[in-house]
Amino acid sequence: MIQNETHQAQLHVNSTKESSAVGRSKATSTSTATQTAYTPKKPVGKMVFFGALSLGAYLLLFSKETLVTQTYTLGGWHAAFPVLTAFLFSFVHGAFASNFLTVLGLEAKSSH
Amino acid sequence: MKRLVLIILTVLLLTPGIHQAYAGGPPPKNVVKGVFTTIDTKTMDASIKVDGHDGVRVLHLGEGMTVDDIPMDKKVLVSLDTHAGPNVIKDVSVMFMDMTVTKIIAFLIIGLIGGLLSGFIGSGGAFVLTPAMMSLGAPGAVAVASNMCHKFPKAMVGAYKRWKYGQADIKLGLVMAVTAIIGVQVGIKIQKFILDHWGNAGSNLYVSVVFVFVLVVVGAYVLMDAIKLSKGSAEEKTPVLAMKLQRINLWPMMEFKVAKLRISAWITIPVGLLTGMLAATIAVGGFIGVPGMIYVIGASALVSSATELVVAFIMGAWGSVQWGISGLIDIRMTLLILAGSLIGVQLGALGTTYVKDYTIKLVMSAVMLIVAVSRGAKIPGYLSDLNLIAALNDKLGVALNSVSFWALMVALAVAGIIITVAMIKGMVQARAEENAAGVVQQH
Repeated sequence: MIQNETHQAQLHVNSTKESSAVGRSKATSTSTATQTAYTPKKPVGKMVFFGALSLGAYLLLFSKETLVTQTYTLGGWHAAFPVLTAFLFSFVHGAFASNFLTVLGLEAKSSH
Repeated sequence: MKRLVLIILTVLLLTPGIHQAYAGGPPPKNVVKGVFTTIDTKTMDASIKVDGHDGVRVLHLGEGMTVDDIPMDKKVLVSLDTHAGPNVIKDVSVMFMDMTVTKIIAFLIIGLIGGLLSGFIGSGGAFVLTPAMMSLGAPGAVAVASNMCHKFPKAMVGAYKRWKYGQADIKLGLVMAVTAIIGVQVGIKIQKFILDHWGNAGSNLYVSVVFVFVLVVVGAYVLMDAIKLSKGSAEEKTPVLAMKLQRINLWPMMEFKVAKLRISAWITIPVGLLTGMLAATIAVGGFIGVPGMIYVIGASALVSSATELVVAFIMGAWGSVQWGISGLIDIRMTLLILAGSLIGVQLGALGTTYVKDYTIKLVMSAVMLIVAVSRGAKIPGYLSDLNLIAALNDKLGVALNSVSFWALMVALAVAGIIITVAMIKGMVQARAEENAAGVVQQH
């Protein structure tokens, strides 16, 4: 979305949290970070990688549909199957979705 | 990352200790799950290979059932008619629907919008996903189980994103989740008491009345607040009740850093308990959890909705394990919905960074009120089941059912539209501000 700036210099003031500031030596530090022309790389490669992985996983699961549905619903310790599968898909497909949105240019509002 | 590990560990530790309870209602007891192997047309007996057991069980076909009602070699859920005898079949439903392209597309779209809503207001999705799955042909228990199993990974991704944006209060989420899990147990006890005394229709009526009452009262209050804030006639500040409660200095006091507040555990715990109790009853705990965190505890709508995702993750993971043990999760449905909702939830989460606090309240109240209409339309049916009013004629019954279903779709659509419009407005504004800042910097 916001890719048309040319050159930025940012000053970061890293203050510690108010509640724990007393008695700490690490009080406030100032660091300078210089950004070169702000043109974020779009994670197309990552998106394609995770997309392919996710699609592959979906195709694999649906091609063995009968076996999968039978095994996953046997109950008892077999509960681990659906729960872990859901976890796994959420990482792979979630990573794809995250990169996909970035590639589309949909990113959270930068907080500066 | 450390915090995420902590949450996962908490879930794992909690799970074995509380395996008696189920989020969103217990798996049905009078249900047998397995595959029919043979059927005797003379005696009207059917043998079923029950999951988790080696032998076969012989069941008798209930009144009015024919041989054609028994699907062979398919995994089925058999409800037993306990009043007619120990092994009499009441009805049989095939556990796994055939996936068609239309159904797959429907799941993807509903998942996407449900996820968007969830990422934005912290809850939502379940109220529309479960009925949608059922209307596409899944048995009720399988729909609830599959929805639960999609809820926790979705909430995990959403919670992670919103934690990164500095919105989710993990500590508050943990406290809410643990107390809500205890609340669920209490809620189930009440449900069972009602089921034992007034039967299924009584239980349905109770659930619907509580549902409509809570959603209308809380929804209207949140809506009024949102409208006041959107007009700019009131400042966004901690609600009066929460301010008063925060002043009560009763040990143990809890400090929530992200939510920026300090409040007694004696206030936080009841909110969690009530959320859990309602989650067990009406299956949408978030609709009470988020307003509870806003108006009673005093967190902002932004923090509350983000924190609700932490709660949803923990409760969803724990509920999924329970439903998994009962073997009722249709992983295909879970994953198809997840395909859309993992995109939606991240979109919703990033959307919150562009909107004002009241937009979240507006979306939440709109959804609550429309969903209340949906459930309200079911009440006449339950009343006539209990013979409290005259039986409904067929046309009215069908009409009320379709009102109920379409209200859910409207809720989803309205939420989707408000979120999208608010997000686009926010993005355009942010871009203009960035450009203006860029111009200033160049000079």
